[in-house]
Amino acid sequence: MEDIILGYDGSDCAKAALALATETAKAMGDRVVVVWTIEAHHTGGEVKDYEDALKEMGERVTAEGAEVAAAAGVETERLLVHGDSPASALSELADERKARVIVVGTHGESPLKGALIGSTPHKLIQLARTPVLVVPAPS
Amino acid sequence: MESASVASGSGGPVEVVDKGLKKNAISFVSNIVIGVASTAPGYSLAATLGFVVAIGGIGLQAPAVMLVAFIPMFCIAMAYNYMNRADPDCGTTFSWVTRAIGPRSGWMGGWAIIVADIIVMANLAQIAGIYSFKLFDWNSAANSTFAVTLVGVLWIVVMTAICYIGIELSARTQQFLLGAEVITLVVFAVVALVKVYADAPAHSIEPALSWINPFEISSFSALADGMLLAVFIYWGWDSGVTVNEETEDSSTAPGRAAVISTIILLAIYALVSIAAQAYAGPAALIKAQNDVFSGGLASSVLGSPLDKLLIIAVLTSASASTQTTILPTARTSLSMARQKAFPAVFGRIHPRYLSPSVSTLTMGALSIVWYIAIVNLSTNVLADSITALGFSIAFYYGITGFACAFYYRRELFKSAKNLFFAGFLPVLGGLILFGIFVKAFLDYRKADCCTSKAILGIGPPVAIGIGALLLGVVIMIIAHWPYREFFRRKPEVADPSVLAESAPAASGGGGS
Repeated sequence: MEDIILGYDGSDCAKAALALATETAKAMGDRVVVVWTIEAHHTGGEVKDYEDALKEMGERVTAEGAEVAAAAGVETERLLVHGDSPASALSELADERKARVIVVGTHGESPLKGALIGSTPHKLIQLARTPVLVVPAPS
Repeated sequence: MESASVASGSGGPVEVVDKGLKKNAISFVSNIVIGVASTAPGYSLAATLGFVVAIGGIGLQAPAVMLVAFIPMFCIAMAYNYMNRADPDCGTTFSWVTRAIGPRSGWMGGWAIIVADIIVMANLAQIAGIYSFKLFDWNSAANSTFAVTLVGVLWIVVMTAICYIGIELSARTQQFLLGAEVITLVVFAVVALVKVYADAPAHSIEPALSWINPFEISSFSALADGMLLAVFIYWGWDSGVTVNEETEDSSTAPGRAAVISTIILLAIYALVSIAAQAYAGPAALIKAQNDVFSGGLASSVLGSPLDKLLIIAVLTSASASTQTTILPTARTSLSMARQKAFPAVFGRIHPRYLSPSVSTLTMGALSIVWYIAIVNLSTNVLADSITALGFSIAFYYGITGFACAFYYRRELFKSAKNLFFAGFLPVLGGLILFGIFVKAFLDYRKADCCTSKAILGIGPPVAIGIGALLLGVVIMIIAHWPYREFFRRKPEVADPSVLAESAPAASGGGGS
């Protein structure tokens, strides 16, 4: 059994990615690892409460995602990953697990907007040493 | 957190792991860079130098004021260092003071941070507006209140949007920007000094050792008033201190980085203020209070187009400062909301951008309202609000110093080291800051204290600075009703194990 790493934030495109990851896992007999990433911060303030809030959110969102996959009869695992960026966290996790594939959703933004607000799929494609599957939101 | 709450078959308990953290990239050096960049030396000098020189009785001793202001800052850096060790993730003034002294003081500390943020945003916006126009030599626009305010408001909108979307400058980008800023400032200072000795331009004065001697300042009043302004220039290094989970040794590295970043700042401030004063003389600095560098000084020292580098340095410095103002403040109000001391909506997180959404937008909106209101009052009031800001900073840094010594009160007498670094220095810092606070209050409350007209018969810095803190007291009292639980919290004492092992981060702490 191999791992399918799913970057999951509960958005529409992430749900589409979840559906595809679940389908693939079922076909291959793989496990879906539902991952929520927490970015490291370079400026201070009351970081503790902020990170707690992010962890609570991740807790809730990954549980929802894992439930969907589990309902389809797929084995699941949930992870909150603390990393430099979502892309670096996902690719490193995939390396370590020797995962079959990383699955993420894409909001389908223009390249300019993606560059401005930071596009995880783009960075992931550059960073990852594991195949990456990018799933758009249903239109 | 609890695996039990998760239905079986849906992934089991959630695990928290660290991945992809570039330990080497976010190192000791980065922490120093963040500490210096957050303090924004270029912008701080642009905003304060002329005003410090202008205080009656300071005379040529402005560089001395810049140096002396470092003493309480160094002391409070120790308080941050020690409070940080009690719980490396625990927070800043709001959380620490609530723990150590109690919920009322803690709440007021949090309020002072928010007030300082809103006041400084107006000033940052103004400087960003003026310097943006000066960058293109568009002097008529730089002199138009309307045009500058428009750009200033846009500046706040863009900066708030950046924080809302959750973009943080990477450590590498910050290093580059800060490096450019520091090099530009040093080049400016060196060129100015060389010209002073070589060509002796009109009004230039050769620097004298007495410039850095605080005892040459004619009165204690002048020193206190100057320091209230000058504490502002060191404001911001706490951003570096409280970023810790990324450093390898989180219990000591941030503190040491804070100390080194303060020493770097000290050198920059002394050098640039001496050079500017030597080159132009105090009268010119006072005349160009609102735009010390862009008002002719940069072009005269560096010549065109190199003078634009200094303007760009002030602008990048101001943008770094804006970000390190909005982000930590939004986290403070988020923290206050999560600890049930503030309305719960401030604890809301944006589902996609994962930023403290309501906190960030509210700070931006209040800053704009405040900026427009105060510009309408008069731009002199805006300038005087930097002095008002000093009251908030002195209050919350000071109370953090006292909180540290009080929190560790049972550990202080266990070793000389503890007594000195966790007790004596933080209390000394607190006393100096509170002393400045009181003395400056007595001076600035006079209706004729300042360039701007009195508000309700009181000097504007006091009307704004103390007014905002008193407003906080009123709101805090009202807040007792909805947030009863929070205000019933009992203070805690430091766990003895915290200081039991590990040497203190600040050995040989004798910079002043």
